Amino acid sequence: MKTVRELYGRLPPGWRAQIPILSATAGLLLLFGVWVPNFLTLENLVDIAQQNCVYAILAFGMTLVILIGGIDLSVGAVVALVGTVTTFTLLHGWPLPCAILGSFLVAGAFGLFHGFAISKGRMPAFIATLASMMVARGLAFGFNSGRPMSLPDTQTALLALGNGRLGGFFPVPVMVMLVLYGFMAALLHFTVFGRHLVAIGNSRSAAAFSGVRVERKEIAAYLGAAILTAFAGLVHASQLYGAEPASGQGFELNAIAAAVVGGASLKGGRGSMTGTLFGAIIIGILDKGLNQAHVHFSLQYIIKGSVILASVWLDARRRD
Amino acid sequence: MPTLRWLKLFTGSLFALLVCSCAPDRENVPDAKAGGRLFAVSFMTFNNPFFVDLNEGIKAVVEARGDQLVTLDSQNNSLKQRNDLSDLLQQSPAAIFLNPVNWEGIRGTLLEAKRKQVPVIVVDTDVSDPGLVLCQVISDNLGAGRLAAGALAQVNPNAKIAILHLSTAKSCIDRVTGFREGIARYPGMSILDTQEGKGTIEGGRPVMQDLLGRYPELDAVFPINDPSAIGAYSAIESAGRAGKVTIVTVDGSREAAAYIRDGKILSSSAQSPTEIGRVAAEKAYEHLEGKPVEKDIRIPVKLVTRENASEFLR
Repeated sequence: MKTVRELYGRLPPGWRAQIPILSATAGLLLLFGVWVPNFLTLENLVDIAQQNCVYAILAFGMTLVILIGGIDLSVGAVVALVGTVTTFTLLHGWPLPCAILGSFLVAGAFGLFHGFAISKGRMPAFIATLASMMVARGLAFGFNSGRPMSLPDTQTALLALGNGRLGGFFPVPVMVMLVLYGFMAALLHFTVFGRHLVAIGNSRSAAAFSGVRVERKEIAAYLGAAILTAFAGLVHASQLYGAEPASGQGFELNAIAAAVVGGASLKGGRGSMTGTLFGAIIIGILDKGLNQAHVHFSLQYIIKGSVILASVWLDARRRD
Repeated sequence: MPTLRWLKLFTGSLFALLVCSCAPDRENVPDAKAGGRLFAVSFMTFNNPFFVDLNEGIKAVVEARGDQLVTLDSQNNSLKQRNDLSDLLQQSPAAIFLNPVNWEGIRGTLLEAKRKQVPVIVVDTDVSDPGLVLCQVISDNLGAGRLAAGALAQVNPNAKIAILHLSTAKSCIDRVTGFREGIARYPGMSILDTQEGKGTIEGGRPVMQDLLGRYPELDAVFPINDPSAIGAYSAIESAGRAGKVTIVTVDGSREAAAYIRDGKILSSSAQSPTEIGRVAAEKAYEHLEGKPVEKDIRIPVKLVTRENASEFLR
């Protein structure tokens, strides 16, 4: 026991913070490994990552805004909007790069609006993003009278984004997720910008007094969240082989849950990309494990709710 | 070191959970039951008694054979449906019953099922690419429309009709096609207007109010399902024209049966969700036994009128 404690003490604090979530992940894998036959096969585990990459990418963006004490409820609707814009423009003969650029611009516009409304306009993030959630959903339904559209079969590059497998095995969307994770983790933990976000989350006025350009950073955080949402929207549209204006409902809640299970605090000032990644993975393991253990879906909702509740409770305890 | 303490507590409780959960759930594991094969059904939503009944229909057949059925609720979320089914496909089920949220969006799952050679039976929905599935089992929606037209012709062969449509659903398009075919045989009948009633009570009511105001001669309405029929009745009643406008509809739900018993609605062409489920499950077993299965199976509908309404009130 003593050596364990010694080793633990020697870990850098950033690593030490991830120990609970890593052990929870390992514990869940062990639990389902014993409970469900053939759970711990490589294919099954890769499938968990593949199933949850849209939620994870959204959760990376959500972590940025949660870190500064904000929230973004519009991501699910923007995912649907990005899908419909991309599919619609492709069906009208736009080349792929233009269609993708168009969808990034649409998502970026929402991000900028959030940033300005919340930071400069001092609107509550909850209300501003709730309103733009409705606007984005309405815009998505505006294409093709709200009916689903199919991506043309000729768009092999875009279809590979969500369905392709590197070397016939490793899913491309998981690759996308890992690259975005690497980028976001570096941005958050190894740059001045990242440290400023944490400072703003801890105390906005203290950060401002220390010379942080608070409003700029906040706008950048919301813009970053929107750009990640655009990535998630492209992967989602690809996985659905087209756009579905009604899709994406409730994705914002999954993203928030992943960030919170990963140790982010909704009061701001605390959270990490690694935590969020594992938060998403934990929810993914729970989803798959409970499905494969054939637990009735009504009970699954209760168990997932309890896990989220437990992690928030642990978070509150750790804060005291 | 508070974190370490939490860590110990957490690992401890996980271990406890592991020990507790293993024992009672053993019988759920398919391998534990001799010869028990695994079947899965995924519905677009469970928030509709129609699908609850359909599920019971499948379950009765599967469990009678000593096999196991896992029911999945997609909550109208295409991604959840895709993930749920990919979870179950990893466990090599004998067959999958599918009620897709979005027919196009489910293509990835169908390709995966094909790759793993798991047959897919589509229930209660038309498909655009039947090549990827074993068969589809659907209500005879054309017949439902024809039955409604016939019931109306018996009481009013010169009806001036409005249609409350739900034109995004293939099943409703078929119902209206069947209805139009039916009334084409009666030269005295005419359709004054077709409007979107959204297939719900709150969607049907205002549309019916507008129609009543615009067409004073209107004396019959065909709402494509029971909820919009109930909405239409509410509009007719508040306009003071109850009894002067005949309603014929499709579904045969308990609520509509009560309206039919009270003479507020003339008829409803009843679908049989339990029967759809039963036939779908039978077809799955026929396929597994190596027999050929027809691609497109239509389940007949039955007319609910005042005489037999009590049968549908259960």
